[in-house]
Amino acid sequence: MFRDARSYQMLFLCLFLVLGIATRDWTLHPGIILVAIATCLVTQWAALVVSSQFPILGSQFNPATQTIATPATPDSPTPSPPHPFPSLPSALITALGLSLLLRTDHCSTMMVAAIAAIASKFLLRFRGKHIFNPANFGIVAAIGLTHDAWVSPGQWGEGSWYILLFLATGGLVLQKVGRWDTTVTFLGSYACLEAVRNLWLGWTWDVWLHRLTSGSLLLFALFMITDPRTIPNARTSRILWAVAIALLTFILRNIFFLPTAVFWALFALAPLSILLDLLWEAPRFEWKARELRVES
Amino acid sequence: MSFELVVPLTLSSSRYLLPLYSFTPLPLYPPTMKLLRILLISLLILSASLCVASGAWAFCGFYVAKADARLYNQASQVAIARSGNKTVLTMANDYQGEVKDFAIVVPVPVVLKKEQVEVGKPTILERLDAFSAPRLVEYFDPDPCTPLVYERMMPAAPTMSAGARKDEAARSQNLGVTIEEKFTVGEYDILILSAKESGGLETWLRQNGYRIPQGARQLLRPYIRQQMKFFVAKVNLNEFEKSGYQNLRPIRMTYESPRFMLPIRLGMVNAQKEQDLIVYILSPEGQAEVTNYRTVKVPSGNEIPTFVKDEFKDFYKSMFQTSYDREGRNVAFLEYAWDMANCDPCSATPLNREELKEAGVFWLDNPETSPSSGRLIPRPFPIAPSSNVFITRLHIRYTRDKFPEDLMFQTTTNRELFQGRYVMRHPFTGDASCSAGKQYRRSLPRRFEQEAQTLARLTGWDIQTIRRKLPKIQAQALTWWEWVWFTLSPSSPLS
Repeated sequence: MFRDARSYQMLFLCLFLVLGIATRDWTLHPGIILVAIATCLVTQWAALVVSSQFPILGSQFNPATQTIATPATPDSPTPSPPHPFPSLPSALITALGLSLLLRTDHCSTMMVAAIAAIASKFLLRFRGKHIFNPANFGIVAAIGLTHDAWVSPGQWGEGSWYILLFLATGGLVLQKVGRWDTTVTFLGSYACLEAVRNLWLGWTWDVWLHRLTSGSLLLFALFMITDPRTIPNARTSRILWAVAIALLTFILRNIFFLPTAVFWALFALAPLSILLDLLWEAPRFEWKARELRVES
Repeated sequence: MSFELVVPLTLSSSRYLLPLYSFTPLPLYPPTMKLLRILLISLLILSASLCVASGAWAFCGFYVAKADARLYNQASQVAIARSGNKTVLTMANDYQGEVKDFAIVVPVPVVLKKEQVEVGKPTILERLDAFSAPRLVEYFDPDPCTPLVYERMMPAAPTMSAGARKDEAARSQNLGVTIEEKFTVGEYDILILSAKESGGLETWLRQNGYRIPQGARQLLRPYIRQQMKFFVAKVNLNEFEKSGYQNLRPIRMTYESPRFMLPIRLGMVNAQKEQDLIVYILSPEGQAEVTNYRTVKVPSGNEIPTFVKDEFKDFYKSMFQTSYDREGRNVAFLEYAWDMANCDPCSATPLNREELKEAGVFWLDNPETSPSSGRLIPRPFPIAPSSNVFITRLHIRYTRDKFPEDLMFQTTTNRELFQGRYVMRHPFTGDASCSAGKQYRRSLPRRFEQEAQTLARLTGWDIQTIRRKLPKIQAQALTWWEWVWFTLSPSSPLS
């Protein structure tokens, strides 16, 4: 239906937001969602304008990076018309991700998160690729810079039909993007670590299952950790990277008792992708309307 | 409008929640602790009225009676005051049996020394309960023929009731059990044990006269492996008699640990059915929530028929059960979240400074823990001996199949206020012969019907039975368009 995987992602994130607001007991205000969306779009637009004037700040339109993307899928025979701001969908996805995960009572806090998220894409770059997952960076920035933001890891509950929904929709997007390896590795290694702990402690297996069927964990694994623009380019790198995040999450959760361990783990290990990209070279992922996965 | 009367639903004043909660203990992780102990904790005994109703008892952990009487956990109350990693945990004690048979085992995160354990005043959890209880608010419609002249609120006066011998040590060592601390606090003889393996701990407890429930051994192991310690208490009868109290008082523990959890698994060993747990979390920041289960608000703000006033406890019980079933039986319910400096309407006066300290709040004199600026909330009620204490009341009804994992909590900076509040509006019963009065009377049947349907939806009660209890009005009901017009009219008591 859609040619750009981001369209699916936007659709699904919107669906989750609507479902969450309608069926879950969320302290979520529609006004703050609108602020997140507006701030992300405006910041992205402003940053694009500025970076086109000062190319050193960003390479969204850097011809060099554009040429890396070589269309090659058989199901995209006709080229799509150029989009004036091809990265606006990404900004919208970031805004939806922030709305789903970050909680605050104040619009100003959400603005801080949104600006930090988008600005990180332009300011924190290495070889033209942004280092941090924007939504993740925004969450960490809001929690660190303000005193009224939080994340509710229990907000989706566990073991409900939402899991199936997340798996189905996430699987569809991942299949389009070609980054399922990251999710599978992350969930697999995290499940193994928790299984070993469970076995060692002597808990029954429903404890293990309960920990793994957390809606928030799945949402993270399927929709955040897989952002193709920030994760390592080569498959080997991605697998190593996902294992590292699973390990750090496990440590933060079970030794330091951080309920929001996944976000901190991703944030802390994001720079590792630079090193992995240097060790295993592979072409960068580019969002293309016709070409979802670039293997040039 | 008019009078507003608040009928609080407190644990101590009702049979609801009789099965007061039961859950397990306090967690903490041993290493990496700094030197802090400021916290207070108090464990409260539930009021005598509760104790009469059933032979149940509840606590954080399991009961190990020396007598052969069957003991169950059915309900517990715990207050946790926490700032940073510093925690003061107060466990209410609603033990209902012979005092001499009382004994408990509670996993705790660190070795507690004598100065970290205290006996609290029996009233402090009652005060927290009264302040945060779901409430019924009562309004009286004004005379529809007379302009509204006053509005007043009448807070109900809640009942504010106010070293082991050497050979013993050697045996312990052989079993891998170490008595880390041994002391007497108030009417309790307390041991802090550490163990190397669950079999040894179980044997030790049995050898020392504690009756361990079947299946406890498997559940002790995970706590031992997590390097948790075991708080073991029984009653020192001499001290109990000297204390002059009729019931066991709450136990209050002060410790520091990054773990913010309550172990409920152990408490389910000798529980036959679902158990209720009420946790009062006091924080300098804002609301607390459960991180590994959903936290859901109880229905609130609904208008219900006036006859519910006489059966409010039954109403709340049914409503809670209905919500519990509807949410899939695996959520924690938020019943109250408020700044402790005020309340609106108040079901009990806010706790004063001394009571807050008794409840474990240790940061009152510390300006660093005041809520951050920029997120101030409007305060409908002034007052405030303390504005940096936020209370969250969570009601968790749990069973083994739906709550496999211990409860993990976090405090957030969310200062949104919430209360379980139900509204009943008494119709004006005087003579209202003006045209507005006639219309008002004709509006009543529809309003009563709406209230009846709300009640049926919330509680699952039979709608016909509810309808029979509604007041009878001798007037032709408004048609729907008249009703719409009436409810929109500025002179309507509904507007």
